[in-house]
Amino acid sequence: MAGNGNELVNRTIVRSWLVWGFFWAVLAPLLGIILSLKFNFPTFLSSEFSHFGRLRPLHVNGVILGVFSTVFFGLAYYMVPKLTGIRMHREEWSKLPLVLWNGTLLVASVSLLLGYNKGLEVAEFPNPLPVLLAAALLIVAYQVFMTIARRKEEKIFVSLWYIVAALVWTGINLLYGNLIVPYVAPGIGNIALHGLYIHYVVGLWITPAGLAVIYFFLPASARSPLYSHKLSLIGFWSLAFFYPFVGIHHYLYSPIPAWTQTVAIFASMMLIIPVLTVVVNFFGTLKGNWEKFQTDFSVKLMIFGAAMYFIGSVQGSFEALRSLQQPTHFTDFVIAHSHATVFGGYVIFVLAACYYVWPRITGREFNARAARWSTWMIMGGISAMILILIVQGLIQGTALMAGAEFVDSVVTMKPYWFLRTLTGIAMDVGIALVGINLLLSGRKAKEIVS
Amino acid sequence: MKRAKTVALVAGFGFFFLALLLQGILPYQMEENRVTTVTRTVRTPLGELAELKAEASPYAGLTLRGRQVYTREGCWYCHSQYLRPTAGENRRWGPVSEFGEYAHDLPHLVGTRRIGPDLTRVGGKYGDDWHAAHFFDPRMVVPDSVMPRMTWFFDDNPEDGKRLLSEDGQAVTAFVQNLGMNKGRWRDAFSYQIAEGGSSSLESAAAIAHGKAVYERRCLGCHGEKGDGKGAAPETVRFAIALPRDFTAGVYKFRTTPTGSVPLDADIYRTITVGIRGTAMPPWFNLAEEERWDAVHFVKTFSPDFKQYPPDAPIPIGRPPKPTPELIAQGKKVFEEMKCWECHGHEGRGDGPVSEEQVDDFGNKIPPANFTRGVFKSGPRPGDIFRTFMTGLSGTPMPSFGDSFAGPEDGWALTYFVLSLSADGKR
Repeated sequence: MAGNGNELVNRTIVRSWLVWGFFWAVLAPLLGIILSLKFNFPTFLSSEFSHFGRLRPLHVNGVILGVFSTVFFGLAYYMVPKLTGIRMHREEWSKLPLVLWNGTLLVASVSLLLGYNKGLEVAEFPNPLPVLLAAALLIVAYQVFMTIARRKEEKIFVSLWYIVAALVWTGINLLYGNLIVPYVAPGIGNIALHGLYIHYVVGLWITPAGLAVIYFFLPASARSPLYSHKLSLIGFWSLAFFYPFVGIHHYLYSPIPAWTQTVAIFASMMLIIPVLTVVVNFFGTLKGNWEKFQTDFSVKLMIFGAAMYFIGSVQGSFEALRSLQQPTHFTDFVIAHSHATVFGGYVIFVLAACYYVWPRITGREFNARAARWSTWMIMGGISAMILILIVQGLIQGTALMAGAEFVDSVVTMKPYWFLRTLTGIAMDVGIALVGINLLLSGRKAKEIVS
Repeated sequence: MKRAKTVALVAGFGFFFLALLLQGILPYQMEENRVTTVTRTVRTPLGELAELKAEASPYAGLTLRGRQVYTREGCWYCHSQYLRPTAGENRRWGPVSEFGEYAHDLPHLVGTRRIGPDLTRVGGKYGDDWHAAHFFDPRMVVPDSVMPRMTWFFDDNPEDGKRLLSEDGQAVTAFVQNLGMNKGRWRDAFSYQIAEGGSSSLESAAAIAHGKAVYERRCLGCHGEKGDGKGAAPETVRFAIALPRDFTAGVYKFRTTPTGSVPLDADIYRTITVGIRGTAMPPWFNLAEEERWDAVHFVKTFSPDFKQYPPDAPIPIGRPPKPTPELIAQGKKVFEEMKCWECHGHEGRGDGPVSEEQVDDFGNKIPPANFTRGVFKSGPRPGDIFRTFMTGLSGTPMPSFGDSFAGPEDGWALTYFVLSLSADGKR
């Protein structure tokens, strides 16, 4: 499916999305460093508009809707024509979602700094801005559906399944989380509805979109066929079935009815099935072809990301168990999980794909030395960060269970937080280097022969 | 296209709404999950504590505005608002969260992270003065805190050089003080907080040195380096309710010893443990017992009195009798005869004829206690109130009535009468 069909891709639109993605990939992680420094230096860059409570949503939304989503859209405009064998439907519309999405994100970011916060995690943006985001997303969805409807390739590759599902889910979810959840069902019902929304964002947007990317680009950059199409379908349907049910595991031991918590725990454990199918499929794809892991930056990062995805996802499943939640909930253990999956897995997937796509749409090769540096900084940074966060989560959680005074448990965390900042800096420099390297290559480096 | 449609319809819409129905909508259509009542601890007309089911109250006025400020500033990213029946949370923070408590939470603010402590039950734990100081600079009162300063909660023009909360600051304070209040006077019955400690640690040089370290991390911000009550907090922010104790004078309000005597170690320990309600002095029951005892030993070194005059024998408190309407009536009689009303007012609102003129030994204005609020500095138990009558509050205009009572029954009658003034529940 890869290698040919380059002429079907609208290179300008793909490049624009990726450039925006590189912009967010500098901004959102930078906010992460600033936030991280505040743990050890609480007055660092602290003002009415830049204290922790104002910057934190900007970091989270910036990573999810900025870095990950923006790059994903660019990659979707690359993948869909290639997988369907025709140009994107209504190609002339493509600029609209680009401007709408990124423009809205910019306005929304400023509004968060000014204190317009709806009070719901990952649904902070003030209305009607999320509606504009949903509109941009639905325009892309419409283009994708119509392109698939008129496709030339008979078979629908699994990436398209994931793209379709992700766009449908998230089109609904953005409207659900921003227009319904904040205004209905006061009380415990609101907590439940929001718990579902949060996990729809990670489970029904980041996960399927990220998997669509790696299902396409791993075989493409390794130049070997997908290990098992059947396995990928089992993975897809088990994910589609179980993921929607897990949201309540954010609020275990809360007054939410215990049986709905149990359903969420069960579904969370069942998610090990799609995770395993995905990981087996990726590693199988490289079978007999492992030298690519050494030579190709896309493959290297994607396989590393798959390992992180596995670790983070399995951690997430077990974290949903009541016994493990007793010490770990509310601690950095959970933050380890979110960074292992969202950054270690999905952001790395989409950045890895950039190493594949960028030379092919610009016709220029990037600097391998810089790519090597950035790859190692990203891989080393995130690995160390997750280890530190898991350890400190366990330390604080068990200390509190043993009756430690709260502030004492915070003091214990401080050296770990400082190390965490250092790992974050490594990661962030690494990500910034990806974008800088690719952007500069577009102008300077020698032409590649394709 | 058929398969693409299947994916979109079944996986996209089908499972999404199935989950929403099962996990988000159906449970709350069930009768048992539509509760809006809370188990509330109330004071009965006989002055006792009792539990009853009461409707959760909606947010209104200043509290509602405070909730908006709390939401705007993202306080909920670091402070969760639910207590789990596990990990010792009911011992650390208070009773486990109930379904009905959240009846008016829209959007909910329960949170998923605790970079700071849970705030479900923080209402009444600290006084407004403490919150003001803490908002202005958390590290003034909690040196190890990682919370941002909220300096924009304060008016620009400090009065007499001390900062005052702006309307937003007052609103968010009101909201925080209201957290957990649907459970009423639960704190008065919170056994972990009101429990008396075990035996004192040895008053050794090592204990005093350790006590100094505890003091520097927990007490210094208010009571100051010299123990004179001139810490950074009361010097920076206007303390409207009560100033921190000056330990150098050796004068303590809450004692079991007679007027004029220094307190017992156990008296200071009790005050550290239970705090002084309504003031900036929080309860420290979460500290290890050893830390509290060692802090006692250190605090005593600020005044030579402890070395020079050993404490007098404590006044026995005994066991409170069971209150009856007759006892309350007798208490009212005692209240009138002893002229409690001169300061505290006939209704116990702290508005008696001479209430305006009262000053303490340090020259600060001191309003008489308003009993109808049910916030008792010396403690919420009948024995705490009784003890105040017997010992007086040294350094304040509140004298000892131990010699004026005809017998202990007069004291208990007055105790229950005073407690009954804050009755908010029928029995």
